[in-house]
This record gives sequence, structure tokens and C-alpha cells, in this order.
Amino acid sequence: MPDAPDALTATGVTKRFGAVVALSDARLRVGRGEVHALLGANGCGKSTLCKIIAGTVARDSGDIRVDGEARPLASPRAAEAAGIAIFYQELSLVPQLTVAENIHLGHEPRGAGGFVDRTARDESTDHLIGRFAGVAGDTFSAKTRVADLSPDQRQITEILKVLARRPRLIIFDEATAALDRRQVDVFFSIVRDLRAEGVSSIFISHRLDEVFAVADRITVMRNGETVGDFAVAETDPEAIVREMVGDVRLGPRPGKRPAAGGEPRLVVDGVGGGRLKDVRFTARKGEILGLGGLQGQGQKRLLAGLFGAEPFTSGAVLLDGAPVAPRRPADAIRAGFGLVSGDRGRDAAFPGRSILENAAMASLVREKAHLILARRLSARFDRMLAGLKTRYAGLGAPIGSLSGGNQQKIFIARWLAARPLVLLLDDPTKGIDLGAKADFFAIIRALAETGTTVLIYSSEDADLLSLCQRVLVFNGGRITADLSGPALDAVGLTRAAYGEAA
Amino acid sequence: MDRVTAILKDPLLLAALAVLALLGLGELLSPGFARGDQIVRLLTVAAILGIVAAGQNLVILGGREGIDLSVGAVISLGAVIAGNVMSGDDAMILPALLAAGGVGFLVGIVNGLGVTVVRIPPLVMTLGMMGVVQGALVVLSRGVPSGNAAPALMAFVNQPLVAGIPGILFVWAAIAVLMAFVLRRTLFGWSVYAIGANERAAVLTGLPAGRIRTILYGLSGLFAGITGVCVIGYTGNSFISVGDQYVLPSVIAVVIGGTSLAGGSGSYTGTILGAIALVLLQSVLTTLQMEFWSRQVIFGATLLLLMLLYGRQARLRV
Amino acid sequence: MQALLDGRLWLITLGALLVLVGVNTALQPNFLDPSVLQSNLTTFLPLVLVAVGQTYVVLGGDIDLSVGAIVALVNVTTVSVIAALGGTNEAVLAGLAAGIGVGLACGLVNGLVVAVLRFQPIVTTFATGIVFSGLALRILPDAGLPVPEVFWRGYAGGAFGLPTVVIVLAAVVAVTAVVARRPFAIRLKAVGGQRAAAFQTGLAVGRLRVGAYLLSGLFAALASLCLTGETASGDPLMGQTLALSSISAVVLGGTALAGGVGGPLGSLLGALVLGMIGNVIFFAGLPFEYQTLVQGLIVLAALAGGVLVARR
Repeated sequence: MPDAPDALTATGVTKRFGAVVALSDARLRVGRGEVHALLGANGCGKSTLCKIIAGTVARDSGDIRVDGEARPLASPRAAEAAGIAIFYQELSLVPQLTVAENIHLGHEPRGAGGFVDRTARDESTDHLIGRFAGVAGDTFSAKTRVADLSPDQRQITEILKVLARRPRLIIFDEATAALDRRQVDVFFSIVRDLRAEGVSSIFISHRLDEVFAVADRITVMRNGETVGDFAVAETDPEAIVREMVGDVRLGPRPGKRPAAGGEPRLVVDGVGGGRLKDVRFTARKGEILGLGGLQGQGQKRLLAGLFGAEPFTSGAVLLDGAPVAPRRPADAIRAGFGLVSGDRGRDAAFPGRSILENAAMASLVREKAHLILARRLSARFDRMLAGLKTRYAGLGAPIGSLSGGNQQKIFIARWLAARPLVLLLDDPTKGIDLGAKADFFAIIRALAETGTTVLIYSSEDADLLSLCQRVLVFNGGRITADLSGPALDAVGLTRAAYGEAA
Repeated sequence: MDRVTAILKDPLLLAALAVLALLGLGELLSPGFARGDQIVRLLTVAAILGIVAAGQNLVILGGREGIDLSVGAVISLGAVIAGNVMSGDDAMILPALLAAGGVGFLVGIVNGLGVTVVRIPPLVMTLGMMGVVQGALVVLSRGVPSGNAAPALMAFVNQPLVAGIPGILFVWAAIAVLMAFVLRRTLFGWSVYAIGANERAAVLTGLPAGRIRTILYGLSGLFAGITGVCVIGYTGNSFISVGDQYVLPSVIAVVIGGTSLAGGSGSYTGTILGAIALVLLQSVLTTLQMEFWSRQVIFGATLLLLMLLYGRQARLRV
Repeated sequence: MQALLDGRLWLITLGALLVLVGVNTALQPNFLDPSVLQSNLTTFLPLVLVAVGQTYVVLGGDIDLSVGAIVALVNVTTVSVIAALGGTNEAVLAGLAAGIGVGLACGLVNGLVVAVLRFQPIVTTFATGIVFSGLALRILPDAGLPVPEVFWRGYAGGAFGLPTVVIVLAAVVAVTAVVARRPFAIRLKAVGGQRAAAFQTGLAVGRLRVGAYLLSGLFAALASLCLTGETASGDPLMGQTLALSSISAVVLGGTALAGGVGGPLGSLLGALVLGMIGNVIFFAGLPFEYQTLVQGLIVLAALAGGVLVARR
């Protein structure tokens, strides 16, 4: 359609959060009725750009035109008035309300006298749910409270909420993350129907196969700027990955260390709880053991169980031959476990507190150091953080003054100082740039050299391939493959994750 | 301009400036306002508020919407218990202090257990406890004022002890040093900030968040009980609602001093300045010989102004 | 059972109320006489009204500690306007209108300061409450200034064969039922339940919160007019305990203080339960000095129970 103006053109968009430059020069052009993928490594700014387009984040400068018309997009309401709807990675549902109330929130169907027409609302909701009939589970209706939904049902509700708005441009930010294959297929058919109706979509996904299956064009971003715009038909996944990564080499090659031959340290014997079922394995001293598979297959639950945050309901765990059954994290820490989470804001950071407080807390607890000798403690952590190549103004500076990667080093230091026997890593590289990631890998390797056993779950297979000699692949709460040696490569991991285990 | 913003954003500096400005204003309006003995008199009043605010400060620092609305009733309870234990006998001052503080601590622990174990919102729990303690006061005193302070206690609170300064100010100073030491130099203090800043992270670091928070409420009760003893020492006798006037000022002093109501950041030094500023403000308004109503209005408006400076919530759009 | 209670926690409050009514009837055989019921309702009505208004603020995730002061300010405004205009029937109407206007204005101030200037609601409404009660003392420094007979007679009397207090209660129920079916109610719960989600969805978060404070101011004004009908005079210190009691009533009615869950019907029942607890204790023949303690313990237990049930 050469005559119609583009559905969206954004040029020269910039945004700073305090000292951090999130966007330096973002560009994006989406044609009418086009499915446009927006790709880039974590932290490249694609989510920020989407939030600016959706009106929830204010841009510092730049020009955004919707259907050829310049728009300030000063609020989510203004964006909505311009025909833009966004599917949020961080869900925008209200758990206390029902599915129907959420889907029509802000657009309640009105009957006589301006009262909410509940019948019409629930019927239209059930009609929308019907598009996912057969793949969304039976406990899913207009009157279900969102708090009672499973993660995939919530994600579907979020998708339906966007659709109910009848927008002309939809932003799907990781809309398929919690969906299974059949649900993804339904979703794709909806996206194609929308395309046929002239609705444009911006599609963010970390699954390249999905992008190539559904998108018409691809924009790649790197470090806050747009580096290229490609037609899907004229490119291939490898070229796109090269654009995303740029000149920086991919993570370091896997170390050619001999397969761990140390004594058994951690024996997990048939544990269950939540979605975990009869998980059993042995991890040796000095081993870096990977937990692989698609997201949400029980890996996080295993780590939470070992750490006593969500105790197991069955099975046993032996640490150096002695049974451990932590009922709370404090028990696990006493036994010698440590946990570094990728969700730093939720699980690790004490916002507003100093770097020293953030770094020292675990060792103070472990050493029962009731009196704090500040000078000695500072010297100790200055030494340790210098060893981790951490950049900071001073130990008294607030934790928030550090970048994500440097913050994560502080939280590693928290546990290194406590000298754990087993270090649990729960998607630890989330939101960390490649340079910090390389440092992080080096720290973990050095720690394993000293005999610490490391269990790592990562949402990025590349992390596991760089770090681990052995990876346990999870599917539906069970270990479905135990990969090591030549079987442990990207293809093997992916096949095992999708249930085609060798 | 940046420097001005920086000053306005540092609550300690701001509270200190407010204290100086109020002092200057008072002297301007009524020469002699900032005279030594006048300042000592004001500080004595501020000390009583400051001691109860120490407990309020701890509870608020511990986060999870921490607040203790029962302190007023506990102050009254402490005053009535102390008055009955002492009955004007100097020898009974220490037992009275122990009894009032101990009962206050127990009430606080019950608050803490309600908040942590039953997980009742602090506002509701301490509000309910306020009703219970008021009921207990009626039972104890049968509705009539009873008990009176020992002369030595009254002298300690009201008369100069050393260098023209009454004993209660030394007690306040000791509490200030103790609070600063505990909050800055002990694992317990660091834990308070940690659970206030991010309880989940604190638990994942091995801190017993529930136990710490329960103790914080216990300490708030303890400080309120001690404040009760100070109050009866200040006034000589007690009545069952003598503590009510301290409830919200104790929260306000903490907020003026820069402690975030969300928990996890702030200091008792700030609260001390907050308590002094609050007492000075009331005193200046009295000096102005304004009618009661206009003092009220100015007092409320000043609080709103302080909220404008640093009591604001985050923007939804960034 | 759970399905029945889902979103209908007020049923438990209703159950508690019926039990209390039963106990009270056993202790005070004439409790169900229309005149006794009417006098009890007259006593309970102000808290019912304030609690209903408070519910909207709490549903939106905020709190209003100034309602007691609003009650006082409305009272002195109403009696002063009536007196200034000569106490005629028209003056009474003007006084009522002025009172309601003042209540709405107070709610608007609270809403703007909390939602638009983004002040912390607990301290802010405490501070505005101080200002409101200061203004009340300015308007009427001492209690007094009786209202014309038509005012209190009208309140004590009735219309259409029903006592005025019953009509007021029915009107409150009707108003809450209307509000519950407006988009406003759902949007407000969304604001209180998950503020960021409500904002991302494009709701006018600020305007909704202001709306809740306006309702709170309005209901506080109505409560004040009822109290004025009962006391028949002005009192600048009126209603001081109402702020905290209304929060207790809201919690007893199954509304979560965190916001997003509950409704005004529960608070209405919660306020009646609070009143009935006092009644039952009075008639249970407890020694006078134990009554406050027992009442405090029961209220605390009820609050704890309310929280536990709401959480399940």
C-alpha cells in the first residue's frame, strides 16, 4: 500500500533514566497491516521504546508519528486514543478483579443509564475466550478471578484485553513467554487475522523461530539505538543474531576442563512439590551443573526448594552425606547454601541502602557478627569487590547507583563472602550486559575451582553452554535429559527442551 | 539551584534548618524566646515526644506499612502503672520504671505477633490494641485519676540536674546515642533497615524478619511505657487519656525527620530534629498569641508543606 | 461455601450481626420494639455513613483520617448558616446545602493533595484533618447554637410511615447499589488493587482517587447532618473518634486495607456490628469498668478475624 502512510514512524527517540542512557537514537517504522519484530539483546532499549509508544514512559526527545500524524503520546490514554494498545511483559492485570472486569477495564459496556452491562460484558468476554477454546483449560471463564488463573491463562487474558480494545497498532512484548505450543499457534493465527484486517503489530520475542514464523519485517536494536531494518524474506536468523550482538564476541567458549570428578556434594533424591515431580540427581564438588529446558518447567522451584524458600513436599536432600531439610532460607544458609537471583529488585536488593550493607548482610548473618566493626568490614569488601572488577564510587554509595551488572557482582560478593558449599543461581544474568556477563562467568568458574558446587538455571541456553559441563533438562517438573560431553550443545539442549530428548 | 534542591532533598539538613528558622522567628517575635532556660524548657517537652518517637521510628523503619497507633494508650498505661507503683515514694521510682516499661514491652510484643504471625495490617492491629489498652486503663483506674509521681522523679524531669539541664535530657541523649549505635553498628540495626527496604530479600539473606519486626513493636511499647513514666514525672499525676496527644505527633516527628513511611531509610537523628521542630512550631504559634484555631490551621498547613518537600509518592509515568 | 463467599465477605459480617442481634434480644427483650430499634439506629447511623464513605477511599488504596474533622466542620457550618439566616425553613435548607458543599470541598482538597500532588495519604489526611478542625473552631469556638425545631423533629420523626433514620439507611443502600454498578466502582478497585496496572490500562487514576475522596467527604457531611439532627446543636469537637472507628468498620466489613477488595455494604454491616458489640456488652451486665476492656478485646478479635477471613 504505497499510498497509505505508515502506521507508525519513530525517529531519533532518546530517553535517560538518571545517569543511564536507555535510548540514544531509536528508530522504528511499521507499515499498515504489518507484523514487525523488534529485536535486540537484553537491555538494548526495545521495551523502553515500546513503553514510550504506549505512553507509559515519557521520551526526552524524538519524533513519533501515528498514521503520518505527529503525536506527543503523553499518557496511556493518549496512546489509546491514537489506536495503540500494548501487551505488557509485566502484566497489567488486576488480580482482584475477574477476567471480564480486567478485559473491559476502562471500556465497560454500558447499558441504560450508563450502568455497566454485566451480561454483555461477560458474553463478549466468553466470546473472546472462545478463540482459545480447547487450549486454555476449563477453569477459565469470564467470571474467574485473575488471581486464580495459571500463568498461561493470565497471559491469554492479557492478549484478549489488548484485542478487546480493537486497536490499529498492537505492541506484543514477549506475549508468548508463558504459552505452550498450541496456545502460541492460536495466538499466531489471531495475529495473522489482524494483519488481514489492516491492524499492525510490533512483536518482541526472544524466540527467533517465532519471529521468522510470523513477522514481515525486523528492526534490530543494540545499546539504545536502532542498527537495522530488514525484510524477513531477505534475511536469516544468523544474520539477525550478528546484528543484535554486534562486534562483541559471543560469550566465552566452554572451558575444556575435565568433567567433574570430585566427590558427591549434593544428592537430591526424588524431591517433589509444586510442579516438581520425583527429581533426583547428584552434584559433585566443584561441579557447575546446569538446569536447562524451557522457562517454567520447575527449575526455579527446585532452587527455591533447596534454599528453603518453598520447601519440598517429598523426597530428601543430602549435603556431604548428611540430610538437610531447610524450612526457611535461614536454615539453608546455615547448612551452606547461597542463592543469587536474576530478579535483583525483588529477591536481592535493599534499595536505598549502601553497597556495603547490601554486600555484607549474608556473611554477617552467617558469622553471627552482632557487632559491626565498620572499618574492618569495609576493608574486607573493598578487597573482595576489587577482585570482582566491580566499579563503584564508594562502599557508602547506595546500591541503586550501580548498573545492573555491577549490582549483580555485589550480590555474588554477598555469597562469596559467606563461603557457601553450594551456590544456587536463578537466572543470574538477566538484564546484564555482555561485558559484565563475561566477568560473572569468570567469577563462577573460579568459585567452582575452590570446590564449591554451583547449580545454575538460565533462561539463555548460551549461558549454560558457556559454563556447564553437564546440564539437566527439565520438562513438566521432571528431569527429561542429562546432557554432557558431545551431546551438550545448542541443538541437543533445544531438542531436549522441546521433549525430543535423545 | 541544584544546591538548593540538594538541601531540600536532605531531610536532616532541612529539619535542622527548620529548627534554626523557628528559633530565630521565635526570638524575633518575642525576645527571650531563644534564651537558654527557655530552650531547656522546650527541649524537655521535646524529650518526652522524642522518646516515644524512638519506638515509632523503629516500627516505621521496619517497613510493611509499620506504624504504632497504640503508643498513646500505652503511655497512659505506663503513667497510671508508674503512678500507682510509686505513690509518691522516691524509693519506688526504679520498680515503677521497670513495671511501666515491662508492661509496655509486652503490649508491643502482642502487637508484633499480631502483625507478623496473624498478619494483621499494623494500622488495624495497633488501633485495636489501643482500644484494649484503653479498656485496661478503665479497669485499672476505675475511671478516676490515681497514683502520683515521686518527688525525685518530678525533680529529675523538671529541675536542673547538672549545668542547668534536667536529668530527662541526659536520658534522651543516652537514648539517642544508643539508637544511633544500634542502628549503625549492630547486625540488628542493619537488619531493621534490610527488612524495611526489602523484606523478601532480607529473608532470602537469612534474616528472621518476623522475629525482628516483633521485637521492633516490643521496643515501641517499651519506649511508650518509659514515656509514660516521663509524662507523670512532668505533670505529677496521670489520667487515662494523658498519652493520646502523643500518637500522631510521634508519627509526624519521624516523618519530618526524614524517615520514609515506606520503611528502610531514615535515622533517629532526624527524628530528634523532627520532635524539636514540632515542639518549636507549636511554641512559636503560641508565642504569636494566635487563637487556637489559627494555630491549628498553620500547624496542619506546615505539615502539608513538609509533605510537599519529601513525603511524595513516586510518579506512575517516568 | 468458598464460591458463595467469593467476593461476598460481607455475608460473614451479616452473620455476626444476626448473632449479635439474637444475643442482644435475649439480654434486652424489648430490643426489637420499633422505638428501641429506631433509637439504636439513630446512634449507629453516623458511623455507618462515615464508614461507607471511607470504604471508597480504602478500595482505591488510600485512607482518609480527616473524616472526623470533616464531620465537625460540616456541623458548625450548617448550624452557623442556619442561625445567620434566621432559622427559617429556607435557612435550614440553605444550611443543609452549605454543609454538604463543605463536605465535598474537604473531600476535593484531600483528593487533590493525595492524588494529584501525590502526598502520602495517612499523614496528609491527618494534616488536612487538623486544618479542618481548626477551621471548625474558627467558625464556632464553643459548643452551642441550637438548630430550629424543624431540623431535629424532622430527623427524629419520619415520612411515608417510616422513621427518617430508616429512610436515610435505605437511601444509603440504594446509593451504594447504584455506585456499585457504575464503571467507577470497578475502575476504583483496579486502582486500589494494582495501581500500576490501572495506569497502564489507561485509567484516569488521579481522577478516580479524587472521586473516592469526594464520596468520603460527601458521606462524612451526611453523617454530620444526622449527628446534628440527633444533638440539635453545634459542636466543633464533634466526631473525633469517627476516623478510627470507620476504619475498624471497613475492615470488619471485609474490605482489605491494601485496596481493591470489598465494598460499602460490608462496611455498613461492620459499623452496625461495632455498635451492637457496645450494646451487647452494656446489657450483659458486666461491671461498668470492664465494659471498655471487653469491647476492646472483642473488636480486636473481630478485626483479626476479619483480616484472616479476607485472606483465607
